[in-house]
Amino acid sequence: MQDSHIVRALALSLVLGAAHPALAQAPYPAKPIRFLVGFPPGGTNDIVARAVAPRFSEYLGQPVVIENRGGANASIATDLAAHAAPDGYTILLVAPGHATNPALLKLNFDSVSDFAFVTLLAESQNLLVVHPSLPVQSVKALIALSKKRPGDINYGSSGTGTTVHLSAELFQYMTGVKWVHIPYKGGGPGVIALMAGEVSLYFGNVPTVIRHARAGKVRAIATTGLKHTPAAPEIPTVAESGVPGYEVTTAYGMAAPAKTSRAILDRLHADAVRALNAPDTRERLQNLGADPVGNTPEQYTAFMKNEIAKWGKVIRAAGIKGE
Amino acid sequence: MDILNNLVFGFGVAFSLENLAYCFAGVALGTLIGVLPGVGPLVTIAMLFPITFHLPAVPAIIMLAGIFYGAQYGGSTTSILVNLPGETASAVTCIDGYQMARRGRAGPALATAALASFFAGCVGTLLIALAGPTLGEWALRFGAAEYTSLMLMALVASAVMTQGDAVKGLAMVVLGLLIGVVGVDVNSGMARYSFGIPELIDGIGFTVVAVGLFAVAEIVVNLESREAREVYTGRVTGLMPTARDLKDAAWPTVRGTAVGACFGVLPGTGPALSSFATYMLEKKLAKDPSRFGQGAIEGVAAPEAANNAAAQTAFIPMLTLGIPASATMAVMLAALTLQGIATGPQVMFDKPDLFWGLIASMWIGNFLLVILNLPLVGVWVRLLTVPYRWLFPSIILFSSIGNYSVSNNPFDVYLCAVIGVLGYVLVKLECEPAPLLLGYVLGPLLEENLRRALLIARGDPTVFFTRPISLAFMIATVLILVVMVVPAARGKRHGA
Amino acid sequence: MKPDLWNNRDFLAGLLFIVLGGLAVALARDYPIGSTMRMGPGYFPMVLGGILFLFGVYVLLRGVRSGDKVKGEWGYRPLALIALSIVLFGFLLDRVGMVPAIVVALFVAAAAGREFRLKEVLLLAVVMTAFSVAVFSYGLKLPYPLLGGY
Repeated sequence: MQDSHIVRALALSLVLGAAHPALAQAPYPAKPIRFLVGFPPGGTNDIVARAVAPRFSEYLGQPVVIENRGGANASIATDLAAHAAPDGYTILLVAPGHATNPALLKLNFDSVSDFAFVTLLAESQNLLVVHPSLPVQSVKALIALSKKRPGDINYGSSGTGTTVHLSAELFQYMTGVKWVHIPYKGGGPGVIALMAGEVSLYFGNVPTVIRHARAGKVRAIATTGLKHTPAAPEIPTVAESGVPGYEVTTAYGMAAPAKTSRAILDRLHADAVRALNAPDTRERLQNLGADPVGNTPEQYTAFMKNEIAKWGKVIRAAGIKGE
Repeated sequence: MDILNNLVFGFGVAFSLENLAYCFAGVALGTLIGVLPGVGPLVTIAMLFPITFHLPAVPAIIMLAGIFYGAQYGGSTTSILVNLPGETASAVTCIDGYQMARRGRAGPALATAALASFFAGCVGTLLIALAGPTLGEWALRFGAAEYTSLMLMALVASAVMTQGDAVKGLAMVVLGLLIGVVGVDVNSGMARYSFGIPELIDGIGFTVVAVGLFAVAEIVVNLESREAREVYTGRVTGLMPTARDLKDAAWPTVRGTAVGACFGVLPGTGPALSSFATYMLEKKLAKDPSRFGQGAIEGVAAPEAANNAAAQTAFIPMLTLGIPASATMAVMLAALTLQGIATGPQVMFDKPDLFWGLIASMWIGNFLLVILNLPLVGVWVRLLTVPYRWLFPSIILFSSIGNYSVSNNPFDVYLCAVIGVLGYVLVKLECEPAPLLLGYVLGPLLEENLRRALLIARGDPTVFFTRPISLAFMIATVLILVVMVVPAARGKRHGA
Repeated sequence: MKPDLWNNRDFLAGLLFIVLGGLAVALARDYPIGSTMRMGPGYFPMVLGGILFLFGVYVLLRGVRSGDKVKGEWGYRPLALIALSIVLFGFLLDRVGMVPAIVVALFVAAAAGREFRLKEVLLLAVVMTAFSVAVFSYGLKLPYPLLGGY
């Protein structure tokens, strides 16, 4: 599979170079750009890409076309991007799973060295909520109660390996408490299970669960990121509630194949950041519960390396197996 | 009553001339694309929703609602005309609908499907308005144990579904269950039967199975003999259902609506299961069950009503819990988000005009669908008179495009060819495809919930009997078993 | 009377179920099985595979006893050509573009029919290509390359 991709890319570049000398000389970008998204339309990854794409296209001067290639937790799209021609016409929406897939799946690419990370587009965090039947109001109380009932409290997730699941795994890893994982197929069933009391706690995504917290159906305990969520600034983070250093940030970023030239990468970065600063892009992202970021390639690369290492440790410690 | 007011308000929002035009455009577009074999509602909506980006919020939603209905009906149309289900729920419509088409009764089949769906849609909309929150709360009482016993009951009842050979029918259900196993196991996160192929990690998609099993197999069967075989009889006996047809279809429509409404409220089950369930029910209740599978109009009316009712009541979990009822709903909500409208539970409370406008638009879409399609029935029937040698390559082509467009991946296309070969062999050996599809839908649900129920109960199996709703289903399962076994023990099973 | 097993409908069906069921069981053994009350990922598939296997044995034996034949002929040629048409479409779309893929797929599929009238197939190819390009590429703005691969 890998070889044929390389051969194809080489052949393509040869053909393009030979048959279209005009194209080889034309200023970048001279044709539409493929924006690979590893999930089907309608999912959060897809919406993030579509939120950014309009302004991004405008500033780049060429259409940025979303191409959904779902499958295997975005690793199919990621594989395509890793092996695509590094001519700046293929970019990837880096999904949150990019940091966890190396420890869960057998991949045909290197999650760090096969990519040139452009910028972190947006990030979101999860909100730890508990069912009213659990008599805790704070992280400290939760830890105390959990230590008294090891292996007794059920927590839900939107699936093995998702940030919802791994938020809980990291918590257990750092505090030593033992909960029982009940996975569900996606966020919808997971939240329903929490509301029904089938599970007692859940690290849900903010827009979905905050409503139920406000309605009193569930109790919000803490957020998983480093900053308070604008949707509910009174809620403390887990890190400041007794688990210092705890951080789970769901990150959506942009990357290009590794050998893309510096000039093209700079151009992509500049226009992406401009797009992120546009008010309509910001509004669309915030509706998702995601905060626009737009950091430098160096910062983003360092962040990804760190995430991959961190989650590798947590996943191995928890004994989670993918394939 | 508050909700009734909201509904009226929603209609007010939706009923402007401009919005009606958008809805109509959506219905037309959705139908045209959905009619293409292999391109089912989900794929259609995924393809079409970018069109709505350039529209303001309210017309966008209304157009999406139109597209949704058009695409669903388009899926039913291909089920009836060319034996190709657009989505799981329409698979059941294939069984009798296609047979009706072959006998020159495509017109009545299509018209009945539209009318039955419309009836169900009206009832469904009313239900949301009047009983939404109550039903929503009720759905919350369904935990893993309840789902398990419900699935078990459905599985046992599925023996009723088989047209001919009971044992082979059950074997097909089991085979379907196995195909459904391919992919990531929810409870452990392990990928099963994926052979290291990334595309199989998410399982084998419905479109791939449906096209391979139904369309490809059917086409090859039609081509296999050296002498020409008339696929569709030249004698078309009328475009509209007769009075007799309507009478026959009436009660099944009502029953189908009832079954669909119940299933629709349960997240995760919905249209597919309800259409299978009502088909089995109708077959059991019919005076002459042997007609089913030969073109019985009840076999079209009931499932169509059921899947539409379920699609409507699936809004209720959305209303009470803010969770999209299905993948198609998720795409619609995504379109809203991109319009700048916050999605999630907020939409229901902060922007009721949008939500209720959506519900009203769904009804309008449903209505416009009937208006658009009843006259079109003549066109569809005319289509069947096209020489088969032009028809079948087109079906194959569009099915391949549809398969590819699900994930933009050629692998899905290759897999379809493989399943097509398997499907042909199975059909040739007189193993029916419909039970396989049932197993394919049921399997993952049954296993997931069974293991989850045991996990939560820490390995205690009495949980299925101590929880009241679950106990009720278990008792029903035993009763069904008894009812099925006793006549068989007494004598040979009659034909059906 | 020597029974012709390879034309025996239920014998073949049973055989197919036995093979598929057996394969399912064999592959499932690689996954943790667990116990009945705490099922692992391998439990369900193994049980299903076993049931399918048993059904297969029953059907096979029943077939041998009844001797019912497979009705009609096996359409090897149409089957192969239709399957080939589908595979070629998938293979060509990414590599040489939608237009060639459609044309090739149509030609191969049409060849599976009983008659192959070149002029008609050409016309069909032109019409279908035009329609598909109009609807999918222009109408729906799907990012499929028309000519030439990615």
